[in-house]
Amino acid sequence: MASLACRGLRRRPIRSVLVLAGVAVAVFLYCTADAMRSGVERATRSASSETALIVYRQNRFCPFTSQLPQSYERAIARIPGVASVVPVKIVVSNCRASLDVVTFRGVPAKDFATSHAAETSPETMSRWLQRSDSALIGRELAERRKLKPGDRFTAAGVDAYVAGILESETPQDQSSAFVHLSFLQEQAKRGGTGGVVTQFDVRVTDPLKLDEVARAIDKHFANDESPTTTRAETAHVARAATDVIVLVQFAEVLGIAALVAVFALVANAIVLSMRNREMEISVLQTLGFRGMHIGMLVLFEAFLLGSIGGGIGAAFSYGAIALARTAMTMEGVSIAIPPSIAIALTGVAIANVLSLLAGVIPAILASRQTIVMGFRS
Amino acid sequence: MHNPDTIIACHNLEKHYERGGEIVHVLESIDLSLARGGFVALMGPSGSGKTTLLNLFAGIDRPTAGSLMVDGQDLTHLSRSQLAQWRAVSIGYVFQLYHLVPVLTAYENVELPLFLHDMSRSERHLRVSEALDAVGITDRHAHYPRQLSGGQEQRVAIARAIVTRPAILLADEPTGDLDRTAAASIMELLGRLHSEKGQTIVMVTHDPATATHAQRLVQLDKGRLVESSMVRS
Repeated sequence: MASLACRGLRRRPIRSVLVLAGVAVAVFLYCTADAMRSGVERATRSASSETALIVYRQNRFCPFTSQLPQSYERAIARIPGVASVVPVKIVVSNCRASLDVVTFRGVPAKDFATSHAAETSPETMSRWLQRSDSALIGRELAERRKLKPGDRFTAAGVDAYVAGILESETPQDQSSAFVHLSFLQEQAKRGGTGGVVTQFDVRVTDPLKLDEVARAIDKHFANDESPTTTRAETAHVARAATDVIVLVQFAEVLGIAALVAVFALVANAIVLSMRNREMEISVLQTLGFRGMHIGMLVLFEAFLLGSIGGGIGAAFSYGAIALARTAMTMEGVSIAIPPSIAIALTGVAIANVLSLLAGVIPAILASRQTIVMGFRS
Repeated sequence: MHNPDTIIACHNLEKHYERGGEIVHVLESIDLSLARGGFVALMGPSGSGKTTLLNLFAGIDRPTAGSLMVDGQDLTHLSRSQLAQWRAVSIGYVFQLYHLVPVLTAYENVELPLFLHDMSRSERHLRVSEALDAVGITDRHAHYPRQLSGGQEQRVAIARAIVTRPAILLADEPTGDLDRTAAASIMELLGRLHSEKGQTIVMVTHDPATATHAQRLVQLDKGRLVESSMVRS
């Protein structure tokens, strides 16, 4: 019966190919939209153990305009509950929403080498420390721009030497190029050289005090020349990427609509196929095939359409995301779109379930067809 | 009491259906008994009820009234599912228009009914090879129906009908769509299956020349049995 169902798809090859293509495109859309959703979720999911705060210039929403005196570092460090402070200069190649933005993060070299020692080899870190123009490239960015150690690359007016690749679990780090803070301040030449940073990355001693520390920081600088807005890192990403999140939510709706299209496509294909095969079903029944067999045959054909089309769509989605290594970047905040086997398998599974559902009514009708009526058709 | 020598026995068999609010009497008061191992031709003009009677014998249609025993089985009391199981074992059916599955090869078409039987792949292969050999179409086993002539398609259809070794082979105008040469060849094949293998055959035909291959003629007219005679012993 399985063989007969497989052969069934060859009866109308053009129709079958079109249906498979439709299912593949729909599952491709669904998987890609879900990968984007997964990236956003990963970057903005707040955890009760979160200890990271971002101190940003109040009412500024782009690294180009968020300028804070580096001297704030000492004041922030003195606030109770603060474990560490890292002044960060950010330079991006494009401040607007884009899929290929290079984000330079200027960080104090020694502090960074200590805090990120586990994310690259000692040799690489040593090379990065020795050269003031060197950059450690996040894995996502390196793959997207095809960068390897020893390369030079230029973006946003910054020319840097690639010291190595940074293997970080943090989504923001994966799409960034880390350079020495003084080097970036010198290269950027925006808002004066030296002494100005974009933000402070703050760690707190107790996750429960995250909001309390954030309020204390903002209160401390409220009447200063450069007042601040301090948020949890995930909240900062979520705010910066608001537009991207809305787009991703819209893409999700499109993805779900695409799945509805899978249902309609397969149901239509099966109904048309069965309408042309009433006589053949009667022949099978005459040979002794029972209603159950006929129903299974119809369901299996529907399942094949879903699994083959869904498999192709999911594989293309996975391959395209893995190859492109795209990150949605906005206001210097990056949200990587991760390739995910789980999402691909989910896409195929959903296509299978929808295809089976689409085949249920035609299967029931076919299994209940009377032999004589089938021959009269 | 069931007589083992009788393969089909019907009494007061009737078949009516409704068409446009009117009752159409397709078969009326059919009393018939056919012997096991016989070769019977059901004859009559168009609309006389030949095919309907054959369909009742095959269990693919149900009588409105009367009793019908085929191969020891009272068909009037079987469910759809039981009828299907019974057909798979007891009936081989040959259609006028062959009705082979177009996406399967000749071999696969013949193998199809064997999937309903508990058989290994090698057993199925043996059965299919025997059936194809019996109808003389072994060399065309890998061909698809569209690659076969009408006569060859009908041979494959006959192989499909006999591959399960059914008690009865029912054939509905098996030569109706064939030219004279192919028709003669098919009738010669059916005759051989009957004489050499003892296959019970009930065949519908309106062609007197085709009917001469049968042992017994059953004439129907307007749904009634009008004559039943032995042509040869």
